[in-house]
Order: sequence, then C-alpha cells, then structure tokens
Amino acid sequence: MEGALIVWTVILVVGALNYLSRLSFIAAFGRRSMPAWLARSLKFVPAAMLTALILPMIVTPVPGATAWANPKVLAAIAAAVVAFHTRSTLQTLAVGMPALWLLQWIFGVHG
Amino acid sequence: MLPACLGLIPFGVVCGVGAAAAGIDFVGALGMSAIVFSGAAQILAVQLLADGAPVAVIVLTCFVAGLRFLMYSAAMAPYFRPLPARWQNGLAFVLTDQAFAASVRRFSATHDSRAGALHFLGGGSALWVMWQLTNALGFLAGNVIPASWSLEFAVPLCFVALVAPVLRDVPTIVAAVTAGGFVLALAALPMKLNLIVAGLIGIVAGTLADLARERWKAR
Repeated sequence: MEGALIVWTVILVVGALNYLSRLSFIAAFGRRSMPAWLARSLKFVPAAMLTALILPMIVTPVPGATAWANPKVLAAIAAAVVAFHTRSTLQTLAVGMPALWLLQWIFGVHG
Repeated sequence: MLPACLGLIPFGVVCGVGAAAAGIDFVGALGMSAIVFSGAAQILAVQLLADGAPVAVIVLTCFVAGLRFLMYSAAMAPYFRPLPARWQNGLAFVLTDQAFAASVRRFSATHDSRAGALHFLGGGSALWVMWQLTNALGFLAGNVIPASWSLEFAVPLCFVALVAPVLRDVPTIVAAVTAGGFVLALAALPMKLNLIVAGLIGIVAGTLADLARERWKAR
C-alpha cells in the first residue's frame, strides 16, 4: 500500500474501533446487564494498560546513568507521589518536568 | 475541566511533533487527532507507522490499548442512561481518559443527569478543540522546541496523573505491577507486542487477585 493510504486506513479503522469502544456500554446498557466476570475484569484495564504503556517511556537506558540513578525514573516517582495525592494532571506536570530538568542537571546526563 | 485542558497542552504538542517526525503530512496529522482523538493511540500508531509495522498490528495494538474505553463506557453508562440516543452518541465521542477522570466523581455527586451531561459535553468538546490546536502547533512548530526540554516526558506524566490515583487497593496494584513487570521483561518483542501481552496479563492478574481477596474475606 502507498504511504498516505496506509496512514488513512489506520486513522479510520483505529478511529472507528476507538469510538465503538467508547460507545459500547453507553449504547448497550439497559438492554442487557453486564456479566459479573466482565465487570470485575474491566476495573483493572486502565491500571494495567496505562502502566504497560508508560513504563517503557520512563525506564529507558540513559548513557551515563545507572538504572536507579535514571533521571526519568526518579522524576516519574516524584510525579506519581504528587498525582496520588492531588489527582491533578497540572500539578503532576508542574512537579515532574522541573524534577526531570533538575535531575538531568545534577547527574549531568540528558535523555 | 479547564485544568485538564491545560495539562494536555504538552501532550498534544508531543503528538503533533511525533506525527511530523514520522513523515505524516499535515492533513493526515489533523485527521488523526480529529478522528482518533486519543493521545495513547496516536503515539502508538505514529511510532508503529514509522517502524513500518503491518496495518493489522497497528490496529490491534491501538485497540487493545483502547480497551480502557470499555471500562469508562461501562462506568458512565448509568449516568447517560436517561438521555436520548443522539446525546449518548455524541457524549461517547468525547469520552477520553481526562474527561472520564474529571467527570466520574462529579456525576456520582449529582442526580441531574442532564446538567452532568451538559458539563461533560462542554468539557469534552473543549478538550477536543484544545487537542486539535496543540496537535497542529506541535506539527508546525515542533522543530523549534529545544530537545533539552525533554517535552516528550510530558506524555508518561499525563498518564502517571491518571494511574497513580487509582492505585489504592491491592488488586489494582497487582494489575499495574504485573503489567509493568511484563512490559519491561518482554521489551525484546518486536512491534511493541510486549504492550498487548503485558496489559492483558496484568488485567488477568488483577482479576485473580480480586477473586482471591473476595474468597479471603468470605472466610
């Protein structure tokens, strides 16, 4: 397939599937109730999927840094503590980004 | 939802930068942010497109990463139930991580579903407009942002802001830790397949931990 065709195929199919996922229970609720096992499993989808999504963005090897003196890992831990207490994206960013800059400066590494 | 809009500015910019870096044209990048309207799916799709992954793999990965929308949909369904179907169809389109996080507690506090829905629709639409503007900005102006800002770190931070607050009970922590362990352990898998595998294993682990806890309590 040609480049633009591939891109638009992805956009339309992923967009449609995303929309159907968002609509699923909003449209189906009332006609039939959800099986108990499904309701139980769904509770854990955001925690599992989002953790699997973000960890590879945080735990990346940095030249000149060891696994535990990794600025991104340490800044993310600080941000997680703030997020846990405030539930606020803005405050999480307001702590996490400066924490990363500070740690990169302290360790003298970037990335 | 204003704080959610502001918090998404760096995320949207990073998505736009990513689309430009992957060689997608401006119309394609706008189409993606307008139609897909999910930062996680956009980032995954753009990276996999740049890697030359097959369309089927890209679609599957974005779908599995988007399974969390099923949970949001199920959680919001009771509140949207009294509304006409046309409203429900529109509300579903703006059901994002941030709109869900900002609204779910507001809805449980109010009994006026129409007022709640209006707030959700207004906030969700504002998020959509902000998302288009920031994606376009990132696409057009991404190359003037200094690399030393590490702006891409705003993406995991936006998700940390969503995940950390829900880690308040043992089964949810088990789900997150298991998924996290597997995604790193399986990092060698091609085409980000570790994300799908680790996410699904994490969901199963959380479910089993929840069942075990229930048995334990019932004893």
